Amino acid sequence: MYEALFGTILAWTTAVGLALAGILVILIWKKDRTRKVSYLRLFIQTVSLVGIFYSFTIALWLSVFLIVILVATMFTGRFFCGWICPFGFYMDLIALLRKALRVRYWTLPESVNDALQKLRYVIAAVILVSPLFLGALAISDVSGTQALYLRGPYKSLNIMLSPLEPLIVPWAGSVATLSFIDWSFSYPYARDIMFYINIPFVTSVIVYVFIGLSLAGTFMYRRFWCRFCPTGISIAAVNKFKTFKWMPLLHINKTEEKCTKCGICKRVCPVQVVDVYEQKGGDIATSVCLNCMRCVEMCPYEGCLKMKLAGKTIFQSRNWLQPSEM
Amino acid sequence: MKKQNAEKKYLPEMPQKEIDELNNSIRVSSEKIMADNIARMKKTDAKRPAAMQYFDEIANFFGQREKEIQAEKAKGKKVIGYFCIFAPIELILAADAIPVRVNSGWYDSAKLGDRIVPVEVCPVIRSTIGAKMIGLSPYLELSDAVISTLTCDGMTKLSEILSDAKPVWTMTPPRVKDSAQSLQLWKEEIKAIKTQIEKLTGNKITAKKLKAAIESMQKASKAFRRLQDLRKGNPVIMGRDAMLANQVAMYDNIERWTQKIEALCDELEKRRDQKAWACSPDTPRVVVTGTPMFWPDNWKLPTLVEEATPQGLLVGDELCSSDRILYDPVGIDEWTMDDMINGIAERYLMASTCPCFTSKDGNEDRVNWLITKVKETKASGVIYYVIRGCMLYAMEYARVKRALDKLNIPVYYLDTDYTREDVGQMKTRIEAFLEMLAARVDF
Repeated sequence: MYEALFGTILAWTTAVGLALAGILVILIWKKDRTRKVSYLRLFIQTVSLVGIFYSFTIALWLSVFLIVILVATMFTGRFFCGWICPFGFYMDLIALLRKALRVRYWTLPESVNDALQKLRYVIAAVILVSPLFLGALAISDVSGTQALYLRGPYKSLNIMLSPLEPLIVPWAGSVATLSFIDWSFSYPYARDIMFYINIPFVTSVIVYVFIGLSLAGTFMYRRFWCRFCPTGISIAAVNKFKTFKWMPLLHINKTEEKCTKCGICKRVCPVQVVDVYEQKGGDIATSVCLNCMRCVEMCPYEGCLKMKLAGKTIFQSRNWLQPSEM
Repeated sequence: MKKQNAEKKYLPEMPQKEIDELNNSIRVSSEKIMADNIARMKKTDAKRPAAMQYFDEIANFFGQREKEIQAEKAKGKKVIGYFCIFAPIELILAADAIPVRVNSGWYDSAKLGDRIVPVEVCPVIRSTIGAKMIGLSPYLELSDAVISTLTCDGMTKLSEILSDAKPVWTMTPPRVKDSAQSLQLWKEEIKAIKTQIEKLTGNKITAKKLKAAIESMQKASKAFRRLQDLRKGNPVIMGRDAMLANQVAMYDNIERWTQKIEALCDELEKRRDQKAWACSPDTPRVVVTGTPMFWPDNWKLPTLVEEATPQGLLVGDELCSSDRILYDPVGIDEWTMDDMINGIAERYLMASTCPCFTSKDGNEDRVNWLITKVKETKASGVIYYVIRGCMLYAMEYARVKRALDKLNIPVYYLDTDYTREDVGQMKTRIEAFLEMLAARVDF
């Protein structure tokens, strides 16, 4: 038992070590200023994936995990989605694959994108409210422990944490009975589908269709799932109201005068946020932005876009035409 | 290529003898004017950078560059002329053709243009028509096709008039800049031009070639911005010299030009370290905005400003013939054909501050561009330069003035024409303005 765990740890450490070394080599070798933050982001995403994998090997209070993620959006926006979320990481990897194959990406019409973004709230509301009804039906089962571990009537809240699922899971929960050697494979939302639709054969078909569709969607549209992901509902939406303006610690700031409205920020955004382009200046109020800083990185006007953390500029757009001095 | 129809709709039939005579006389006087302009630039800045020598040579319309293009044309390369800086240079370069800008700056040929269009028409248009009538502009004559962007009324009809003599490819820029359908239209225009270019040159524009072209233009932008950044500090280069170097980019081989600009910048940096200023650091700093100024004849304003007493220094401008040429790069997220075309379309349409546009907030981009320029260059005043007949620039004056008034930046409206008659009067006006600026600097 311990030997197997030790073996797994060793294998993962080696794999991650190689990945990190690879990214470091890329960072040093690539002098392209328009890619550095993107590579740094991949690096952090890899580390978080490993962190999440190991955090699942110990018994943890899932509800605390969920509350932290949801509340954090009020202060840091969807930073979690852009920099940590494993599902987002897979989608970025698929985008890298698409780039390597030199295939173009498609864009959703703005109205469809808007509708999908509003759909987030509906999906999340349904999931968040459901334990109340399920709990009411079997009130005797409701206990604090079940709430902490998201079990019993709280089981449905698990869906909110599904994007965190690593592809190789440390517990038995294989994707429609697919396991290889000692490893169990999974995919975000796959276990939820298996839990709720429990019909032999049909379940596995649905799971594979789901995986296929989400992969295809991501291949065509950048960060496809993020546009309606219920976990990314981003309570940051409250920041649009005046009383809560002070709340976001991390946000993009735009200097109106330096902007020539060249449209680069709008085009490079993986979730097609238009606010950075359309808002005239000042702090950008949007609940969709992943804080991935791609627009800040690609903006060719020095100091036009800034990423601010608690009022301090942590990164600003530079004249990326100049070779970087590493 | 198909020979043009014999029947001309606008251009008059002129006897060959008259054409030759006019061409010869204007050409000779133009050569003198170019030499004179350069001599005066050398005189103003006693320690003028040695690297400027190259730009002086290329700026000669009837010299080295003309011969180079002729030689390349003989080898089978196509030359594509363009009027406004909306023409996608990257696509032309990717198809192995030579882009040259063919707007005309000759005063004398403007008078010839009067035979076809009334004098009220913008002199840039009239001069270009005149240049075509007598075959004066070597680049216009050498170009196999001309891309004309229908930015203003003058350009629209100019493309019609020129199609008497050459294939003219028109591009319609949408007037509203920031709506989704505008960008859609413009993208279609870019794709149509791409097909035209491919058809003319016979070279297919592949993703690889286009990427190389975009990267070489990005390098040019980088060098270009470096030069503009050097102008922001104490004067290391006279504004006229920088303007000439900028303007040469419109018909030079862009890679060679980039190298030469980098060399010029190296020299200027040395000069900055030695504190060998081009003129006194207290010289009033002026930013020019308005109608484009074209070499060689329409060099009146920069010459007057920098030779006036008290002297002025042009630290920047908002002209599509100088500081706006290469300022904006094409930013590409993913190097696929589709993204590259989108990137090019957006760069040429959305980053432009041409007054032919309006948007939700009017032409706010131009005001912002100008204010940024004024702040960055620490300019003490703005000259709003308009040539008679240039309606769009003239009409935007009120808004620009109000915006600059708020910043307490004096702005001076200077209107003129393609003529040498008003030089004396302009000199008085400019000197009065500069004196006022100098007085403000003293405070």
